[in-house]
Amino acid sequence: MTQPTITRLSFQTFGLLLLPIILLAGVIALFLSTGGGLTLDSAAPVESLAIERYVLHPKSIDLHVRNTGPEDVTISQVVINAAVWPFSVEPSPTIPRLGKAVVHLDYHWVYGEAYAVTMFSSNAIAFNGEIPVAFTTPQPTGRTFWGFTLIGLYVGVIPVFLGIFWFPALRQLGRRTMTFLMAATAGLLVFLGLDTLAEALEFANEVPASFQGIGLIGIGAVATFLLLDAISKRQTEITGSESDRRLAIASMIAVGIGFHNLGEGLAIGAAYNVGEIGLGTFLVVGFIIQNITEGLGIIAPVLRDKPSFGRLAVMGLIGGGPAILGAWIGGYTPSPFLAVLFLAIGAGAIFEVIYEIAKLIQRDADKQSIPFTVFSGVLTGMMLLWVTGLLIK
Amino acid sequence: MKPISRRDFLKVGGLALVGAAGATAMTQVNAKPHNHEQHHAPSQHGHTEGPGTGEVDHEKNGFNPTDTLTDFDYGEVSTLPNGQTLREYNITSLNKDIEVAPGITFPAWTYNGRIPGPTIRATEGDRIRINFSNGSDHPHTMHFHGFHPGVMDGVPGSGPGGLVEPGQSFTYEFDAEPFGLHLYHCHAFPLARHIAKGLYGAFIVDPPGGRPRVDHEFVMVMSGFDVDFDDENDFYAVNAIPFHYQNRPIPIKVGETVRIYLVNILEFDLLNSFHLHANFFNYYPTGTSLTPAEYTDTVIQGQAQRGILEFSYKYPGMYMFHAHVTEFAELGWNGMFDVTE
Repeated sequence: MTQPTITRLSFQTFGLLLLPIILLAGVIALFLSTGGGLTLDSAAPVESLAIERYVLHPKSIDLHVRNTGPEDVTISQVVINAAVWPFSVEPSPTIPRLGKAVVHLDYHWVYGEAYAVTMFSSNAIAFNGEIPVAFTTPQPTGRTFWGFTLIGLYVGVIPVFLGIFWFPALRQLGRRTMTFLMAATAGLLVFLGLDTLAEALEFANEVPASFQGIGLIGIGAVATFLLLDAISKRQTEITGSESDRRLAIASMIAVGIGFHNLGEGLAIGAAYNVGEIGLGTFLVVGFIIQNITEGLGIIAPVLRDKPSFGRLAVMGLIGGGPAILGAWIGGYTPSPFLAVLFLAIGAGAIFEVIYEIAKLIQRDADKQSIPFTVFSGVLTGMMLLWVTGLLIK
Repeated sequence: MKPISRRDFLKVGGLALVGAAGATAMTQVNAKPHNHEQHHAPSQHGHTEGPGTGEVDHEKNGFNPTDTLTDFDYGEVSTLPNGQTLREYNITSLNKDIEVAPGITFPAWTYNGRIPGPTIRATEGDRIRINFSNGSDHPHTMHFHGFHPGVMDGVPGSGPGGLVEPGQSFTYEFDAEPFGLHLYHCHAFPLARHIAKGLYGAFIVDPPGGRPRVDHEFVMVMSGFDVDFDDENDFYAVNAIPFHYQNRPIPIKVGETVRIYLVNILEFDLLNSFHLHANFFNYYPTGTSLTPAEYTDTVIQGQAQRGILEFSYKYPGMYMFHAHVTEFAELGWNGMFDVTE
């Protein structure tokens, strides 16, 4: 693949490389000055305004909006629940492209009720937003901070560590069962990977069009996949030891699951913030049951080795801890953009880890005949998440 | 609590970031951002607490609802050889951007550049001649309620006056009858759109000798604006501009007799209504009788229904009048009488 001849970047080559760019600049200049023969004046103004979040204070509502259209947008009227309402906009009712503003309404809202807000631009284009359940948005106080920490602890850290506690018991198992467990881990990860990807796609719809949510998923996922693959190859070159390699994979699983939990924490924090959910006991129990399998996934590759207690603890923190971070971010500054990015990174990491596990299993399969172990293992892993999901409903 | 699965849970998390509003494509001609309008945004609503916003640019609109109340158009008057009074009007349909609410421009269709169109007023038996020209880029008509020959009905299929093409004109001519309160509007299709964009006005036919004298006569045409073209009104008003008489209360004196010519031409909604605070009025449905049908403080009108209200105030004060479809009131159909000694 590599070219054996080394060519120096001569002045001539440099000039030739630059030529199309100079020509391009000329074409653009020509187009901008003449319109290139096209009639590009649109009959209707194209305006777009995204409501990124809302904050409810006692007796007032703040809507955080972003202009995602190609031109300036001026907010001229605001209607809330079918009533024209006085409002103010900071810093200015005229919002530049990709600019942000806060629309403030002195509106005495009622706890627990729903509100529909319509903002009209000066071109009479309506932008709608919804407040499904009204309650005072938690402000970053010590108490809410601790609350979000607890949420992350329950849905991320505790279940992952509970899973890791299986380590001593699972070590007693035979080689074949261990391979089965690895396959099950791959199954778990496939399920989680799909779940993460679906979440990313869902958030991508909420990202302003100019930020290209779907493209962002591609960048996050592919880059993460290739980066982890490169790291893994580099590691093999350096150490070469089979057990080091398995430990590296376990660490990567922890990283992948960590990003997954970060995304989950973001979603939970945001949902909790706008009152879409209350974290009921039942729900927390459901989370612990389902996420315990994530801890299992982390230890599966290293069952035949003797990782230190400290190493296991670090991997548990990497896998579960980000749920806390996610809950903080989601709770205080929900951003679909960040959610998409983190979820895409999570998906990329998870799929890369599946690839690594597949390679490990392949080595085991070369040593002994295990025709149905992989099939039943992967299926078991996927079914485990599916069925625990069913039980939670 | 209601059990939620993890999937639902996360889905809900997605919802939490608020359904973002996409760009609404519009088929709107002539609409360009008006930079000077941005300063209207903060509230400067008049004497009342509650919903409402500031003033629109009446000068630029070319009409002021305060004037609309009383500018009865008796036409150019002459006498026909047979002794009949002839009232001649020149009315042109025009596309016009109207600031219907502070900062919001609506690409309206108008008669003579105003909404509602001129209040045409005659006495029963007068000859009405309307030289109608279409200065707009869509075919329009003028369809009057009242007696007239079919060819003067202003409805597609009724002859040359049934659809007046852009740049064309037609003269509608008929005798004003019966006496009462009527209306006119464009009858080109799609009808709802042609009406909703502003082509309507009041048509008053006085009984011979006129109605009993009163201190004030006001015209109030109830309508709404669907500014984002989703076939639902976004703003409601009497005489076109939401909250106008809330910001600029109508001054009257204690004991003065008031007559209101109330017309409903509201599109998209089934009903409209008028409620007068701290008072009762005599109501003459369609104004076709000189005997009131009802003594009440609230009337309901369907589209094209109209009636005459007569009342006076016993005590001084600020008195609200509004649609008792309260949603309409909060979206603009709200006004005040400022009653002084």
